[in-house]
Amino acid sequence: MSVGIGQGMIGMERMGQVLTLGVGTEIMYSFIIILCSLMIYFGTKELYELSSYKGLKYFRQAFLFFAIAYFFRSLIKFILIYSNLREIFEFSPKFFGMMAGPITLFIFMYFSSMAIFYILYSANYKSMKERKYNLYFFHTISFIIALFTVVFRNPFVYLGINVLLLLITVFTIYISSKEKKGKHSLYKIYLLLSLFWVLNIIDILIPGFFDIGQILIYLISSGIFFTILYKVLKKVGSK
Amino acid sequence: MSKRGRLEITHDILKIIQKNKNHIKPTPLLRKSNVSVSRFKEYLNELLEKGFVNKSLEKGKIFIVLTEKGFGFLKKYSTILDFIDEFGI
Repeated sequence: MSVGIGQGMIGMERMGQVLTLGVGTEIMYSFIIILCSLMIYFGTKELYELSSYKGLKYFRQAFLFFAIAYFFRSLIKFILIYSNLREIFEFSPKFFGMMAGPITLFIFMYFSSMAIFYILYSANYKSMKERKYNLYFFHTISFIIALFTVVFRNPFVYLGINVLLLLITVFTIYISSKEKKGKHSLYKIYLLLSLFWVLNIIDILIPGFFDIGQILIYLISSGIFFTILYKVLKKVGSK
Repeated sequence: MSKRGRLEITHDILKIIQKNKNHIKPTPLLRKSNVSVSRFKEYLNELLEKGFVNKSLEKGKIFIVLTEKGFGFLKKYSTILDFIDEFGI
């Protein structure tokens, strides 16, 4: 009986070792996402330069912002792993002092919110009025989200903000797909992209929230970025 | 008939120039483009600024000709449309 329990515990421990994400996994994950985002951004450069099409501009901006946000996300992860910290707020190196952690988190939250807004705006900018001010509005909202994240160091506030962001995203994508009569299969991908992006944010903000489910989030997120990159390259290189 | 978008009008103007053996005067181009005079001027200036077309002077007359970039746009036009359609942007 005790042998059985012992074996079970060893099995659990091994499983834990496999699923515990170290620096190597973080590097690989960040590299995949940043590379995919930059390939999408630079791969569509020629099409945008030729067409000056606004939807294409916002679409590209979204992936540039994803790349920047993921860079800061991986920076936060490395700081947490190397400094053996649980929260980024605990980080206070000699040269930068106590503000280093909050500033890194602020930049990450600002760019990640803007990336989601850009994706939504690229699909909906035509139906929105007063286009000139929409982007200022999104920048302001992203700034406020980032500020709230840094000021209110509370997991419930983080969850609230991200659930709200996700609901706005789902609603916007639903309206957009309805307007275009569900013609674009990519709306499902956008939806998944937003969902897993929010999960990535929660993963950074609330330590240990997903525990062993983290690797699954990394795998699915990478899959989503690969799918979009594949579709982009297929279209760009098709003719 | 649906209203032509900016991209479509740009394509139509460049296509007219190409069909005319890459050599057309501004007035016939305006007529064939099917846009108002003010809009045509706006489009032509934009095409000149972007380097899609050039003005060439032959025997004292101005002709509009396509540049490499203009030909590039025509070549990539269907790819651009496909992309916009695929990503719902």
